[in-house]
Amino acid sequence: MKPIAVVFTKELIDNLRDRRSVISTFGYALLGPGMILLMIVVLGSMFREATERPLELPIAGREYAPALVHFLEQNNAVLVDAPGDPHDAVRQGDVDVVLIIPKDFGEDFSAGRPAPVQIVGDSSRTSAMQNVRRAQNLVRQYSQQIGALRLLARGISPTIITAVSVEEVDVSTPQSQAFVFLNMLPYFLVMAVFLGGAAVIIDTTAGERERNSLEPLLISPIERWKLVVGKLLASLPFSMITVWISLGAFALVFNVFPIERYMGMQLSVDGGALVSIFLICLPMVLLAGALQMIIATFTRTFKEAQSYVNWLPLIPALPGMVLAFLPVKATIGAMLIPTYGQQMLINQLIRGELVNPLHVVVSTVATLVSSALLVIIAIRLYSREDILFGRK
Amino acid sequence: MITVHNLHKAFGDVHALRGVSFDAPDGLITGLLGPNGAGKTTTLRVLYTLLTPDEGEATVDGFNVLTRPLEVQRRIGALPDARGIYPRLTARENIRYYGRLHGLENAVLETRIDALIRLLDMQEIADRRTDGFSTGERLKVAIARAMVHDPPNVLLDEPTNGLDVMSTRAVRDVIRRLRDEGKSVLFSSHIMQEVAALCDHIVIIAKGRVVGAGSPAELRRTTGKEDLEDAFVSVIGTEEGLER
Repeated sequence: MKPIAVVFTKELIDNLRDRRSVISTFGYALLGPGMILLMIVVLGSMFREATERPLELPIAGREYAPALVHFLEQNNAVLVDAPGDPHDAVRQGDVDVVLIIPKDFGEDFSAGRPAPVQIVGDSSRTSAMQNVRRAQNLVRQYSQQIGALRLLARGISPTIITAVSVEEVDVSTPQSQAFVFLNMLPYFLVMAVFLGGAAVIIDTTAGERERNSLEPLLISPIERWKLVVGKLLASLPFSMITVWISLGAFALVFNVFPIERYMGMQLSVDGGALVSIFLICLPMVLLAGALQMIIATFTRTFKEAQSYVNWLPLIPALPGMVLAFLPVKATIGAMLIPTYGQQMLINQLIRGELVNPLHVVVSTVATLVSSALLVIIAIRLYSREDILFGRK
Repeated sequence: MITVHNLHKAFGDVHALRGVSFDAPDGLITGLLGPNGAGKTTTLRVLYTLLTPDEGEATVDGFNVLTRPLEVQRRIGALPDARGIYPRLTARENIRYYGRLHGLENAVLETRIDALIRLLDMQEIADRRTDGFSTGERLKVAIARAMVHDPPNVLLDEPTNGLDVMSTRAVRDVIRRLRDEGKSVLFSSHIMQEVAALCDHIVIIAKGRVVGAGSPAELRRTTGKEDLEDAFVSVIGTEEGLER
């Protein structure tokens, strides 16, 4: 065990002295929380503005329905004249929505027949759909109001036409409504895991070869597996600290930053959840180190290794991105996939959901077994003659 | 004591070694002379246990490099072709790391490091980070680190490469001193004058084969050349890849 400790201590001190790469690594850890904060502020403000802003509604044939026009104006709509070709204007995206009132609106209306209007919108344009929906709602409200009045005039209670009363019960807590943001957290944590130790792993293998210090080191009387383990272990404190910095920044964003001002609700992640998330990340830290070690054994220079290693976090990030928009149920099968299971577990922890202990065990064991296999491969690669030269 | 017997090694189609044999006895400086690409570094790498020969065997103090690599590594101090040191560590820390890898600790290790620093006259640079060291200063660190465990066998691959006159002289002094301590010193060079000035025993390699061996006097006698450097050239058959 002693030689492992010697290698570990040396690499730790050596890499801590590499201030620039330490600072840039820890800076990367703040990227995720920073992006989430930005999204909360930007999207939150956009959302708020959109609902409070008066609805600008191009209208054609306003003269045929003065009462409807009056109702719309009373309900925060600013009516403007519709462009000459409403359909084309909407299709081109010049306007979000156009309300068209036909000439015979008044006639049908007076006769008590359903009076037709057209709301022209483009459902493929998500950003425009909010205004289309607002216009639809206003017209529907007007229609219901008039209908109710007509029934009353005939001595019939308006409730008679409501055969079924639908009451929508929203079970989402304030936190669950902001999940879109929280769902991205596991992804950013995996990034932190993969970036944290990368510089150390590359420096201690590809960097060592590039500096020409690998050959003398390999001549020292130390078994290769001890060398690999010592170097791998030296990277772990760096990735762990990176994960902690990331987690700490997320905690600040959710618990201290006044998110309520932007999203209308406050999020919170408690200390217990943070510690659990950290523990769940630990097996991934080992996995990332082993993967990077393998890459670093056959690349010739620091730069070459870096260009490969930088792609690594994208592999586990893919399922994480899917998870952000398409929640998948946690199953044992999912837990068997390293990094995927962890991202689900982290997601559950932030939501404050109960985590199935069996899932934690399966995911941890699966990831540790995969890491062990990768470490063995790394040791094999380190034991080859080619380690001196790097792959051609 | 180093013995090499009938080493063969190929990298793909390139036959680096085609049957290299020689001995490097204790208390002598054995020079491996040959043009660039003759197989000197490959031979030494087999002795460091970093390369596995396709054929033949090599031993250090009786330990086979293939079957007892750790025993061999404990008994050699090597200055390989690649002699990079860690720029973020001080000279002393660089040496200490290798001492620890050899299992030395505390007072024994520190005493040894101090002795090497005095021997190589590097007191002034010992506690500076090696980033920015000159070639000569870096070489001193590399030599000190190779000698930290006081190895009975010393292998030096082109030790004076890129050095100025003063440093070259200092390195030669160190090599002689190591020999006088009774160690087996094996060093490779393509510089004829250096081999002529230092070696008790010379092994000449070309194209992966030993083409001549013996003491300087024996080489002069067998080739019939008065000048040792002329003797080398006549054995190898060409001056290409050599330096006067």
